Amino acid sequence: MRRRNFLLAAVSGLAVVANPEHVFSRALAQAPLPGLPGSEGRCLVLINLYGGNDGLNCVVPYGDDRYYQMRPGLAIDRSSVLAIDKRVGLNPGMRSLKALYDKGMVAIVQGVGYPNPDHSHFRSTEIWQTASPGSYQHTGWLGRYFDEAGLRQENLFKGVAVSKVLPEVLVSDRTDIPAVPALNQYSMIADSNAVARDAFSRQARDRRLPFASPYLAHVMEIEADAQSSSEELPKLIAGYKSRAAYPSTGLGRSLALAAQIVGSNLGTKAIYVEHGSFDTHVSQKMTQNQLLLQFSNAIGAFYEDLAAHGNDRRVLTLTFSEFGRRIEENGSRGTDHGEASPLFLVGGGVRGGLYGTLPDLSATNMGNLRYSVDFRSVYATVLERWLGRPAAPVLNGTFQQLPVLA
Amino acid sequence: MAAQTKMDVGGIVRPAGRLDPSNALSPHGGRLGGRAAAHLLRRAGFGGTPRDVGRVAQLTATQAVASLLVLTPASAVAPPPELLDGERPLRRAAVFTLQSWWLNRMLTTPSPLQEKMTLYFHGHFTSRATPRFPLITYNQNALFRQYALGNLRELTRRVSKDAAMLIYLNGAANVVAHPNENYARELMELFTLGVDNYTEEDVRESARAWTGWQVNRRADLVSFNPVLHDGGRKRFLGQTGDFTGDDIVNIIFSQPQCAKFFAASLLNWFVYNDPEPELIDAVAALLREHDFELAPVVGTILRSDVFYSPRAYRALVKSPVEFVIGAYKTLGLSELDYSALPALQQMGQRLFFPPTVAGWPGGQNWLTSGTMIARQNFLTRLLGSQTLGSSSWLRGLPVAPASAAQQLAQNLLQSDLAPASFVELESYLGGKGSAALASLSVENYDQRVSGAAYLAMATPGFQLN
Repeated sequence: MRRRNFLLAAVSGLAVVANPEHVFSRALAQAPLPGLPGSEGRCLVLINLYGGNDGLNCVVPYGDDRYYQMRPGLAIDRSSVLAIDKRVGLNPGMRSLKALYDKGMVAIVQGVGYPNPDHSHFRSTEIWQTASPGSYQHTGWLGRYFDEAGLRQENLFKGVAVSKVLPEVLVSDRTDIPAVPALNQYSMIADSNAVARDAFSRQARDRRLPFASPYLAHVMEIEADAQSSSEELPKLIAGYKSRAAYPSTGLGRSLALAAQIVGSNLGTKAIYVEHGSFDTHVSQKMTQNQLLLQFSNAIGAFYEDLAAHGNDRRVLTLTFSEFGRRIEENGSRGTDHGEASPLFLVGGGVRGGLYGTLPDLSATNMGNLRYSVDFRSVYATVLERWLGRPAAPVLNGTFQQLPVLA
Repeated sequence: MAAQTKMDVGGIVRPAGRLDPSNALSPHGGRLGGRAAAHLLRRAGFGGTPRDVGRVAQLTATQAVASLLVLTPASAVAPPPELLDGERPLRRAAVFTLQSWWLNRMLTTPSPLQEKMTLYFHGHFTSRATPRFPLITYNQNALFRQYALGNLRELTRRVSKDAAMLIYLNGAANVVAHPNENYARELMELFTLGVDNYTEEDVRESARAWTGWQVNRRADLVSFNPVLHDGGRKRFLGQTGDFTGDDIVNIIFSQPQCAKFFAASLLNWFVYNDPEPELIDAVAALLREHDFELAPVVGTILRSDVFYSPRAYRALVKSPVEFVIGAYKTLGLSELDYSALPALQQMGQRLFFPPTVAGWPGGQNWLTSGTMIARQNFLTRLLGSQTLGSSSWLRGLPVAPASAAQQLAQNLLQSDLAPASFVELESYLGGKGSAALASLSVENYDQRVSGAAYLAMATPGFQLN
């Protein structure tokens, strides 16, 4: 059975009708995806809060006077913090997230970071995406998960990046993950011209080119995937109707698409989404508050939609950001690049609460918060307890697991 | 693109095979011929019509490069008149105006290498547009054009005090009482040295040296305010003194790493990705020898054996701008149509809005299924529209399918396509699979030729530079 037909059959439950005219370059003859023990139907949604989300104005240590001394122009007023306990509370923009927290669906892990922090956006982003602080790796941790789990070419939608550029976290040695910026940017006009489409797919398979290029194999693979996936995806997810009012923001649209993909049962194990930029060197307060409001509202709608379809226990959302920011504000009512910051896990399978230790504003590393939880502990927990795969081969080491999942 | 090596960015791949360092930079001998001429026109510009390629094919590398090194004087390039009309240009339209203006300039300039280097610097010394003050963005673009093949050290000094840069990396907010480190960090990490070649202390001390530069956005004026400058002693890259920003640039350029950084970056831009250390060292030595003057160094690269080697041929992925301008240029179209700007955005390259301060990551990163769909759809629209009628050569193709296919393959791809693709072209032109008129004729000629041109340009070869 070819992949396309397998997918359609899997979704519709109907008998496969062979259609010999649609022969794509990587027509499938492979077996269906192997199930992952204990993790069937589960999906991880990874949200990159890019630019470096300031942790202290996100999970606010409002019980600590030093916070107000060090951020006279930037601190969040005690009265407006959404209190979690007497010491910390959420940014006032995060009411929807707080509501999920109160239902026990949000785990906040404080003080997450990695050894020998690098303050460069690019290196630090790369470290979070490749899970490799000590050395350079060309594959991402989810890319290695796909390789390690044997989720290779059988299913084009085993992972989806809702972004223009494939993020490093989904780069692997053996799999190709589609980057789908939005559904309306994901169809080929030439598909409506049957003659051109068929000619295109036939020529895309001939590798006897009169030149060599290090990018040739990649180009051919992407051309074939672009054609087959753009034909398949809209059909595969057409039956899903959203049951929440998503905010009309970039993240709102991305998460609406994520819910549609999850609800369409394509066997998607990981979806990448991005939101930002949190690079707040100047006038941070308004910018970050707005971004956190957008984040919280989009997550609220996402879980409302997922719950309405009975999918809220199938989806774990994990946030990350390349670093937190400096404790003290700079002269531009902003903050410079820092180190540790909190991250969020959201979903029906989460054991809600506060984890890690409260940031100590006095025990600093040149003005930066010291991390208390290695980010790879979070990844290890997600890999083993959520995706059902051994973490060590993916993370190249063993890390302590956190009790954040039910 | 910022200078990246394979270590820095994923998706950047060196060609297979080995470099022969002994003659890598020696001048390539003999007449260029069609394929090498097309390669040079693509890399040093945005491609050419069959006639352009034919003309350059008769020249030696030295002759061809000499003509490319002739630049348009900065004074001869005027800003888009709409920007200067009236007191306040329409803000929303301003960036659109600038983007269209620059793309049209890339398409029609008599000095394509100048625009290619302007694009290089836009991705290297990245800034994002300030839509409310479009002249600031225009002026930075003009600075890149002025220094397109000028002195790198001088350009680095100038761009450090450029309004667009002072705004984008918060230099204008960097004052003695409260230093802002954003520019100081990126200057070393992304613009001149690369990570691991400086310390956190160097970042802090450099930020102090850059304090005091202010921007009046409305007037597009940059000024230095000594009261806001930290005049104290700084320790920077092993030296101590009351450094200013200019001193910081001089110290950075005295580091051997700086020449290597730019050498790797230029090789990545012109030759192939992840160049070998020996090749980087050779170009770095040239940069130092010429005191960071670009014209002789870029000239040497474009004349060199390694540039014309099979390893360098089609070894780069076309950026969306190269893809779009290249398509217009190759077809002989002299004006952009409305579809170019939205198409570029969908392909992931919106001019004046690079995704991050590192510019566009390039290489394999340009190609995802989403951006590939955008590329194919751009071609479908371009070849389905009236623009086809303006192509200088497409309408003159012979009516016989075999020779029409031959010429299409030659003119669009220097015949760099697979045998199956050629068969598809020929049978498409001959009407196979079509219910309409079987053979190519006056009635179906336009539709058939544009469809075949789409098929040729949709092949993998056309995605590569």
